Amino acid sequence: MKYAAIGLRLRGDPLRWVVIAGIWLLLFLFVLYPLGCLIARAFTDQGGVTFASVAATLTNPNHLRALRNSLILATLVGAIGTLAGFLFAFTAERTDLTHRVRRLLDFAALLPLISPPFTTSIAFVFSFGPKGLITHDLLGLQNAQVYGWNSTVAAEALTYFPLAFLALRPLIASIGNDLEEAAYSLGGSRWQVFRTVTLPLCLPGIANAFLLLFAASLADFATPLILAGNNLPVLPTDAFLQITGMFDLKGGAVLSLLLLVPAALVFFTQRWLTGRRSYVTITGKGGARPQAAKVARWLRCLLWAACIGLAAFIGYLYALLVYASSVVAFGANSAPTLEHYRVIFTEGIPAIKDTLIIALISMPLGGLYGVVVGYLVGRMRFAGRQALELVSMINYALPGTIVGIGYLIAFNDEPLAITGTAAIIIACYVFRYSPTGTRTTVALLAQVDRSIEEASFSLGAGTLTTFRRVMLPLILPAFFAGLGAVFIRAMTAISATIFLVSINWTLITVRILENMTELSLGPAAAFSVFVIAVVVVVTSVLDLVLGRMMGGTLQPSALRT
Amino acid sequence: MPAATSVAISLRDVSAAFRSPEGADVVAVRCIDLEVRPGELLTLLGPSGCGKTTTLRMIAGFQEPSGGEILIGDRDVTRVPANRRDIGFVFQSYALFPHLTVHDNVGYGLRVRRRPSAEIQAAVDEVLTLVGLEGMAKRFPGELSGGQQQRVALARAIVIRPRVLLFDEPLSNLDAKLRVEMRTEIQRLQRTLGITTVYVTHDQEESMAISDRIAVMNKGRIVQIGTAEDLYRRPASVFAASFLGRANILAGIVRDSDDGGVTLDVRGIPLRFLCDKPYPAGTALCAVVRPETIGIGKDGPLPGEVISRMYLGEKIEYVVHVARLVLQIVRYGAPEDDGFSPGERVGVTLPASCVQLFAAGD
Amino acid sequence: MAGKQATAGRTVGRARQDRLTRRAFVASSLATLLTARAKAADTVKAYSIWPENYARPMMEAFEKASGIHVNFIRFSSGEALARVVAEKNNPQVDVLFGGPVETFTAGQGQGVFEAYKPAAWSELPARFKDANGLWTAIADDPLVFMSNTQFLAQHNLYAPASWDDLLDPAYSGMIQMADARTSGTAVTRIFSILQVHDRNEDEAFAYMKKLRKNVQVYTKSGGGGTLPVGLGQAGAGIFFIVDALFTRQKGYDVQISFPREGIGSAAECIALIKGAKNPDAGRKLIDWATSPAMQSLLAPNKINFIPAHPAVKPDPALAAVLAGAKIIEIDDTWAGANRQRIIERWIAEVLNAS
Repeated sequence: MKYAAIGLRLRGDPLRWVVIAGIWLLLFLFVLYPLGCLIARAFTDQGGVTFASVAATLTNPNHLRALRNSLILATLVGAIGTLAGFLFAFTAERTDLTHRVRRLLDFAALLPLISPPFTTSIAFVFSFGPKGLITHDLLGLQNAQVYGWNSTVAAEALTYFPLAFLALRPLIASIGNDLEEAAYSLGGSRWQVFRTVTLPLCLPGIANAFLLLFAASLADFATPLILAGNNLPVLPTDAFLQITGMFDLKGGAVLSLLLLVPAALVFFTQRWLTGRRSYVTITGKGGARPQAAKVARWLRCLLWAACIGLAAFIGYLYALLVYASSVVAFGANSAPTLEHYRVIFTEGIPAIKDTLIIALISMPLGGLYGVVVGYLVGRMRFAGRQALELVSMINYALPGTIVGIGYLIAFNDEPLAITGTAAIIIACYVFRYSPTGTRTTVALLAQVDRSIEEASFSLGAGTLTTFRRVMLPLILPAFFAGLGAVFIRAMTAISATIFLVSINWTLITVRILENMTELSLGPAAAFSVFVIAVVVVVTSVLDLVLGRMMGGTLQPSALRT
Repeated sequence: MPAATSVAISLRDVSAAFRSPEGADVVAVRCIDLEVRPGELLTLLGPSGCGKTTTLRMIAGFQEPSGGEILIGDRDVTRVPANRRDIGFVFQSYALFPHLTVHDNVGYGLRVRRRPSAEIQAAVDEVLTLVGLEGMAKRFPGELSGGQQQRVALARAIVIRPRVLLFDEPLSNLDAKLRVEMRTEIQRLQRTLGITTVYVTHDQEESMAISDRIAVMNKGRIVQIGTAEDLYRRPASVFAASFLGRANILAGIVRDSDDGGVTLDVRGIPLRFLCDKPYPAGTALCAVVRPETIGIGKDGPLPGEVISRMYLGEKIEYVVHVARLVLQIVRYGAPEDDGFSPGERVGVTLPASCVQLFAAGD
Repeated sequence: MAGKQATAGRTVGRARQDRLTRRAFVASSLATLLTARAKAADTVKAYSIWPENYARPMMEAFEKASGIHVNFIRFSSGEALARVVAEKNNPQVDVLFGGPVETFTAGQGQGVFEAYKPAAWSELPARFKDANGLWTAIADDPLVFMSNTQFLAQHNLYAPASWDDLLDPAYSGMIQMADARTSGTAVTRIFSILQVHDRNEDEAFAYMKKLRKNVQVYTKSGGGGTLPVGLGQAGAGIFFIVDALFTRQKGYDVQISFPREGIGSAAECIALIKGAKNPDAGRKLIDWATSPAMQSLLAPNKINFIPAHPAVKPDPALAAVLAGAKIIEIDDTWAGANRQRIIERWIAEVLNAS
């Protein structure tokens, strides 16, 4: 009789307490304190607590409209993106794609995830505006409007559907053959089996994917900045504009707090969803599917067409980006030139240097921190464990604007005045993006039999030795996943860090935004291409290194004997 | 390998209570007292949920007792963490470190104890030979068979020369043949090394084969301790009787008793058994009769009908109905002996002696 | 043997020590690097509201002339001011460089500037400086109408020559102009409209509400609409002349015109930040920028600001464009005092009306 979640208790192991205390201190400083400052700023005026400004914001019809729009937008993006992600995942897993095509789909789905902000938006403007490549040149439509609901929903769905794809794909792959075979043997038709067996099993995963996309859209500041136009105010963009345009830090703080409520709701719903026992068995044996289970031919062709079409469209958008980066003046002068690249590597060198330094420092810090927290939370049992896990996720769950504004307010003055330094940006990245590594660590740890740690203890090793010699090598993939996630985000983030750049440290993404507003599209596109290239290279290297390390020693089967 | 000085293990009034995932409070082990003699192999035997694994884990230090004391040798280890108790633990799942070679796995405990590499090398080689795995030092656990992994787990536990060896159902993941082979190995090693060993299993044949003594557990308590023979021949309760070996439990009422025997009315059939204790008429008793002690033939005192027959090579097992009694009978026969077929009428002979009698409720 | 081992041990020990000290050194210098903020004394730091390609040549020239290195970063006017205000207790820069006057009057109200009258103070007319010396103008920048030639041809229109021309239904959804929440261009434009209507706010707002119907989008930055107009994605817009001419220079086919009722201009200014860490270097920069030394470089660099210093003549081409244009003066004091209220009214009644 095994009782789950009975952690290992080592009496009198002081190291454990030191580490836990240290993590709490960090969390307090870099998660709770900025959030507290933000709330304080919103609710105080000239030193006294007041609800006046909050009330004013809450009753302001424009802000309420922004809130309503944000929620509707997020719902639409969630629905459409999840659908697209599901279709992609289903096609990838169930329709006998050749290896090549599957790689193509993977890559197409990956691109939006590793791109700097605005890439989709810029391409949309050039494709669907009044003189758009698609609307005007291809379809001959006059005066097509690109600013507004349609574009924003489409662009965000395109940007975020890979999240759903990545989440749903292993789920669909893991639905065991046996369940569906049983259904067929009992006489169900393909559609019936899909409807009554496959789909219900996927439901928690679909719900989770929807929430992922909902949260992402809710926090998206960049796409609406370009595409929403003036009839579609949304909260994160409004908060940003309130601060940077109206120099109203307090107003911005209040607006971003409005975002807090739906974000928190989504977060807790997700926890509830993933906490419930999942009834999809992850023992899906691969291998040939029975003939009856294969998708009907006509449907298969349809799915292929849809997915390849989508992938091609994504490819077109990025081709547009590369094109814009290599012509003199997009739309006016299509003479090829390397001038824009020259510009980014001369005038843009400070931004490139700063971004790379910060990214390369954040990477190992974030990776290690994520793994340590994951180990604490996933394996040890101590008072306040649940609270620790929750708090460590806060900055990840919150929209970037909230985090950025909070840091700006909190760290501009004593006791910890680090605005204007690289440290503030690194701190933002580490505490905002390491939860990916934490989650992967926890998931990986769940697969490692508890007896392995007990074996190490029984042989005389303490907590640190066990962690170092036994657990860390086993969760290395999670560490690398964490590294990769932090690096990618460090290269492509903007919504939090736009408040944190300074005279001393600037980021490529902010430069892209500046270039966009100055209408230097060439350099903006060139920067974007550069970022994508760097991210692809670094993540490939990480993959390679991980593959080498894992080769031969870490068969998944050995993890659970 | 010289044997470490064998020590005794004492459990005094030890209990363990948990909170289950659903929030209920469960008492897994209730106030048990146990003395494991130095150098002996004691098995904790019992059905699922009886508390045997919990007891083992408390000795190891993975589970904290909610009451009582545990001593290893003269040392009170109740509050001592697992990594300081100087134990060797062999897990059901072997728990080999998948990222380390066999050599590194086995040498892990020595490395933690900061022994010089040369010493580790020598010790690992020696113990690998001892368990029959010479030449496997450079392999990884993922490349080994189940039996080989088991041996590595064993080697890893004994190379550190612990004072106590603990086994948690180590053979349950192996196929039948391998199980038999490995249990002999384990017994041999234990005898050679002389380390005090506590062994947990639910397989009673295994426990009888290798143990010096067996402790039968049920619902958190120790029901009986003794050698295999003690337990088989003189079970202290109906539970012990039915757990170790197979038994026919015949429940009946005493019709009358006389010098040397008692007649039980079992479902209307009068059966007489020898016993040295007089029971008043009307007492409810259970008679425990082993299947191999019941005779079956063409004729016999109790007429019955064969319901099922299982041919198992060296023996044939029958289920026979005698009036309203259902009896399990085992007959060890000669190869040409076909025995009886289902539906055939036979005569059954119940032994008068070699029978245990218990008051109902024991 | 023992001796050798002992020395080996010591060498190992020392090597380890060296490694540790080296690591400590690297770690501490990295830490200093990452948290360091103040730079050497011969550097001046500035937020530039002028775009990179305007500011850079000016800063480089200043470096050459004075030997002081300029470390600047570009922000739009709203962002720059927001930062300066947020950093009040711990100023990160010494100078706020360029940007429309209304940003500076707003900053004046927040108390973030330090008074400094540069060398050229007495030579500048009154509207190009704050009476107390809190800011000084370095250039003047009139607003213009800019329209796409092809669009005009397609719709049989002349380049708009009146504010009311922009209300033509042909422009429906095809006008781009700046968003007053983030851009000084928009504020200047709104105050121009107010001035044209003799400060009758209701009339002016009625006009702006009508104009709203033709607006495709209010852009974040002042020049954000120039490229769309150049590309034909929008038909016309209202921009500062410097942005409009830049678009034309890039090769886009656009027309510049002025409304006969008059249109305003905004002075581009410079100011010293209160509490600046390098005030002397900052003052030197201000002296240089407000003098002919810098402003004579505008024309050669094709930067189409009108120099503020009377001794510098604007580029002949620029002067030609401006010939006949009615540039009206906006009372900066009045504008500064009412800025917040007017903008809020604009947001409520114009931006969010739909």
